[in-house]
Amino acid sequence: MAEALGAAKEQLRCVVVTPEDTVVDQPARFVALPLYDGELGVAPLRQPLVGRLGYGQLRIRHDGQTDSYYVDGGFVEVADNVVSILTSRAVPAEQIDIEEVREQLQAVSQRKTTDADSTEQKHQAMRRLQAQLRVAEKARG
Amino acid sequence: MVNPRRLQRRRRSIANIRKITRTMELIATARFKRALERVHAASAYTQRITRIVQRLATAGLEVSHPLLEPREEVRSARVLVLTSNRGLCGGYNANVLRAALPHWEECQKLPQAALEVSGKRGISFFRFRQIVPDQEYLHLAEKPTFDEVERLAEGYLEQFTAGELDRLDVVYTRFLSTAQQQVVVETLLPMSQLEEEPAAKKKPQEEETPAARGVVPYEFLPSAASILEQIVPVSFKTRLFKCFLDAVVSEQIARMVAMKAATENAEELLKNITRQYNRARQSRITSELLDVMGGVEALRGSS
Repeated sequence: MAEALGAAKEQLRCVVVTPEDTVVDQPARFVALPLYDGELGVAPLRQPLVGRLGYGQLRIRHDGQTDSYYVDGGFVEVADNVVSILTSRAVPAEQIDIEEVREQLQAVSQRKTTDADSTEQKHQAMRRLQAQLRVAEKARG
Repeated sequence: MVNPRRLQRRRRSIANIRKITRTMELIATARFKRALERVHAASAYTQRITRIVQRLATAGLEVSHPLLEPREEVRSARVLVLTSNRGLCGGYNANVLRAALPHWEECQKLPQAALEVSGKRGISFFRFRQIVPDQEYLHLAEKPTFDEVERLAEGYLEQFTAGELDRLDVVYTRFLSTAQQQVVVETLLPMSQLEEEPAAKKKPQEEETPAARGVVPYEFLPSAASILEQIVPVSFKTRLFKCFLDAVVSEQIARMVAMKAATENAEELLKNITRQYNRARQSRITSELLDVMGGVEALRGSS
């Protein structure tokens, strides 16, 4: 038991689940999360946390390499060196179709809005698409 | 006397049917496995959501949300019935519809009620009874994706918060285990308790290590109340999604069982007919032999 704890202390386990699938379940040295108001880095032995996610990039560093995902809102729970990310969508950054996202962004930005609600919806959609674009472009370098 | 040739033809056609039903059983088994995997994947998600809600509760937050509050007066109700697109699955659709019809009649006493049906079987059932569903879905019965269900769920949430909808009931077959499925009428809106899921409720607590059980204070970003506000709609969406997944798994199980029974019946029938055929053939041979022998006897007598 003690050895198991000692080994666990050095590493995080990062689990990303969507309602359809468990996308990621792997050890990690460091995880960077897109919280609702900015990025949060999680290293091993972090204090337990429950947080709300925004749209943005999730980075998982392990064995000297970094995996990048686009995360579509949701929640995160950190406890016992396990980072659980609950989101409705998680896409590897390389798999985002930049052209398609650009087109969608174009379409959304031209949408006419009449009241506060629809304006808010439009802005939300735009924030989402812009975040996707950022993540995808970063991945291409 | 039975015509042996006719028997043989029947035997052949039954053998063909047996082949078909066995194949359908195999297909249903494969589909069932895939659907079950999706249910497991979804329950990994719901379990974690439930755990977060438990954290919020242990943080001393009172769980209250507009979606959780029952309306004093229910004026507008919606009934969503989940059936399958295809038949040949035993009593699956009949069971769901048997529960749905009285419930729908009950709901019609309210000033406003709308019926939504997913799956061809259910749609034609209501059409036959001169009830035209207000909404029909065909694409959700085979392989519902979260994106599609989410869109549906967002529509409900919007109407509910706007006060156009007071209650949402889903009639579907709940998947309890491979051996047990149950038709239920579940009220999803207003949501009852957040931690209702019977299976998900117990497990996380058993799995937890002592260190995790609230000994260490949790940090909430931005705040427990704001997370709760966000998590309730998500929880509703996943619950609705779970209904659809359960319906698909139950359908495949029902089909598996029905096709297995059909194959067994065909085998039984085949055995009987083969026996009859053999007997008919044998009796024909016997009578022909008797003929010949009788002829020989007659010839011997006359010479």
